[in-house]
Amino acid sequence: MTEAKQIAGPPATLVEPIDMSQLDSNFRDEIRSMPNGEELAACFACSTCTAACPIANQWKYKPHQLIRMILLGMRSEVLNSKEIWECLTCFQCQERCPQKVRITDILFDCKNLAADEGKVPEKILALAKELIDKGQLYVVTADWEREDLGLQPAVPGLSTDGIKQILRETRTGKLAGGGT
Amino acid sequence: MPMYNLYMGCSVPANYPNYEAAVMKVGEALGMEFEYMTDVACCGSPNLRSIDYFGWLVVNGRTLAIAEKNGHDIVTPCNGCFGSLKDVQHHLKHDEKDRSRVNKELKKMGLEFRGTVKVRHVIEALYTDIGIEEIQRKITRPLDGVGISIHYGCHLLRPDDVTEFKPEMLDALVRATGAKVVEYPLWKQCCGATVLPVNEPLAIRLARDKIRSMKEAGAEFATVVCPACGNQLDLQQVGLKDSYGEVYDLPVLLYPQILALALGINEDAIGLRMNRVPADSILPHLKG
Repeated sequence: MTEAKQIAGPPATLVEPIDMSQLDSNFRDEIRSMPNGEELAACFACSTCTAACPIANQWKYKPHQLIRMILLGMRSEVLNSKEIWECLTCFQCQERCPQKVRITDILFDCKNLAADEGKVPEKILALAKELIDKGQLYVVTADWEREDLGLQPAVPGLSTDGIKQILRETRTGKLAGGGT
Repeated sequence: MPMYNLYMGCSVPANYPNYEAAVMKVGEALGMEFEYMTDVACCGSPNLRSIDYFGWLVVNGRTLAIAEKNGHDIVTPCNGCFGSLKDVQHHLKHDEKDRSRVNKELKKMGLEFRGTVKVRHVIEALYTDIGIEEIQRKITRPLDGVGISIHYGCHLLRPDDVTEFKPEMLDALVRATGAKVVEYPLWKQCCGATVLPVNEPLAIRLARDKIRSMKEAGAEFATVVCPACGNQLDLQQVGLKDSYGEVYDLPVLLYPQILALALGINEDAIGLRMNRVPADSILPHLKG
């Protein structure tokens, strides 16, 4: 009996136990109501998505774990993870999912929720500012190259005002501070 | 003569005028009438989709609605633009609530999305509308069976229920020029372009793995159909000498450049000298 007393503290586990009090049970419904989130609950954690992902080896949270975390309600961990922003959007996980869970699309939904809370990586935010200020991501600098090839010097038909006007009124405007 | 609404995006004209010129020349040679769309906006790229889904829907819904005015299909040479326009089209067709939200915004601009035109990659239009037989008939300087590896690009292939593109289409187009398609283990892997803003070393590693896989499989050239993939495989390849101490010397051509050469179009007209890894070594492989 004295031996049993020596085993103090929580039992050894392979993974960090989840703190149930921190779970947000609405998170799964939130994602399911977003574009292509409907099939979320069909995930049976086979981890085929993780096998398909070319960069999962360097992620703390693998794709199948991120889906499981959403189902469990680990909202803060998912929305603050670097993984959602490093997703290559190559859609290999989504292509192979036997349950038709639209994993890549769901990670886009997660990024939108993170962005709504103002959590956007600095360089992505810089791209948003480019769109608001310049109305395009790339600007022609070497117009002589275009002329050499018999092309119009400026980008043909590109309107920068339309996109600026639209995005000033949507979340991009809020994130980028309205633009100039 | 098939007519198209040509949506060039912002990356091709700014970074790859050689791609743009090759598309125009090929269109001319094969009787495809490309008309540049006017008053259209940049698609915003997957980055806009990540931070502002609704803004992304409205921006691309607007471009689709503009094309609907003359009813011709949209063609684009950029996988990023293709992915954005195609995905928005798919979403707005299937989600009535978002369609009416978007149309409320478009109404202010005197536009309406109805979903009546198709969004297509230039490559798919070549394959479907012109066809392999007709292309082969027009080829005057076929390649001599030189080995070319294909990087299709993720947003051209996936998700396939949205993109409706089959990799075999580009395979057939490469073979039509007389070249041999060199298969390689990492053919499905991403070029890494999307992760550049948040993790540059990772993006470079992905590009390097891809180039290495092609080279090890015996490719003498590589081909891409997207400016972002072009950046990763061609431009980044030059930097591998410093970052990895590795030199691959694998010239990367935009597919319409290869086709243009086989159609007898001069290499200067398609800006072959602008390719970052020197690509003129393809010229001795042209017969006739």
